[in-house]
Amino acid sequence: MSWKLVLALALVARPAPLIAQNGNGGGTTRLNGRVPAAALPAIDSILAAAAAESLPTEPLVQKALEGGAKNIPADRLVNGVRRGLLQLRQARAIVSHAVPGQLPPEGHVAAVAAALARGLSGPIVERLITVAPDEPPGPALHAAADLVAHHFDPDSAADLLVEAHNKGLRGVRLLDVAVAADHELQRPGGRTPSEALAHVRAMLPNVRPGRP
Amino acid sequence: MSPIDPRLQEALDAERDPGDLPVDLREAYALLAAATQVLKVMPPVSVASRVMAEIRQTPARVESDGPARRLIRWLGGGRAVTVRLRPVWTLALAAGLAAVLVLQWPSDGPTPGVAQGIASFVGHFPGARSVEVVGSFNDWSRGSLHLNDDDGNGIWHAQAVLPAGQHEYMFVVDGERWVPDPLAGRYVDDGFGAGQQNSLLIVRPVSAQP
Repeated sequence: MSWKLVLALALVARPAPLIAQNGNGGGTTRLNGRVPAAALPAIDSILAAAAAESLPTEPLVQKALEGGAKNIPADRLVNGVRRGLLQLRQARAIVSHAVPGQLPPEGHVAAVAAALARGLSGPIVERLITVAPDEPPGPALHAAADLVAHHFDPDSAADLLVEAHNKGLRGVRLLDVAVAADHELQRPGGRTPSEALAHVRAMLPNVRPGRP
Repeated sequence: MSPIDPRLQEALDAERDPGDLPVDLREAYALLAAATQVLKVMPPVSVASRVMAEIRQTPARVESDGPARRLIRWLGGGRAVTVRLRPVWTLALAAGLAAVLVLQWPSDGPTPGVAQGIASFVGHFPGARSVEVVGSFNDWSRGSLHLNDDDGNGIWHAQAVLPAGQHEYMFVVDGERWVPDPLAGRYVDDGFGAGQQNSLLIVRPVSAQP
């Protein structure tokens, strides 16, 4: 038996990984040896579903890698990845509703899913996307999530960011709006959250650039 | 060294009759006088002529080795090299080298591309043996981004060039303890059901950094 025949038989006999069948962007290949073997089939199925729905798979791959690195048990790891898929579906629905008639870019969907994971509500997310449908929504959504995390009213926070956008602030500069509001809140003498937002609104668009 | 007896010295200088010397000094005088005669009859030989004579007596080495061995011996052997430099060209060469070093020497930190930014990680972990950052920017792989505590004060730090955008991460202390970055300011539930939070980092592209 020649070595070519042996090689051919070995290739035929070797079970092909699902990655080769479902085309989920190489995710499963990256997971081999990084996540518990018991979790691989379920994760592979989740990745295949995401790919079939034109959802971004990279956030799911990252979640699986994270779970593997943290030695999360297989069942919880799969649940974490599945939760990620549900958030991506919800995110895609929000983006599609906010910007009808367009295929939502994967980057937009991933950014919205991340904002949902940070606790932003769907309506706030949708409002911010609607203001600037053609821009990457990540910075505005993170700015809103920052404000909400610092106990600002979500609707008031969204109002401030919409006004900042209307006054010309774009991209990561919107993060500076959230930083400025937080500084006003921390200022000695004590401002209420609404006072802090009003003060920042009055200074727009001249908020101080800062580090993230 | 013991000084020579003055009477013996006078006899050697022909200022005293050797016959007047005591018996013991007379024997010493006889020995010294004989040595003087020997030195007088030996021809003067310089150091250089003695060295050349030695060289002439050494048989020439026959090169029986192959060319490869001769090449190795030539490469390994010492060679005197004479370089003649004019001061003006020497100064120009030094200036050129200095310019290259100034232009190409890396700055203190990493250099990001347009769609990248610099992330700084700082943590206070007194007594820790190692601290590293693991996150979505390195596929949650261990061993690629270590923090340093060079002065041993418990404050660990590192800088890295990362793609602009959002990254989740955690510190891993002593290779086993997963800790959120207490200075991150942004956190997100890791989604695995135990209520653990990842730190959240938003890297600004270098073009947007103040």
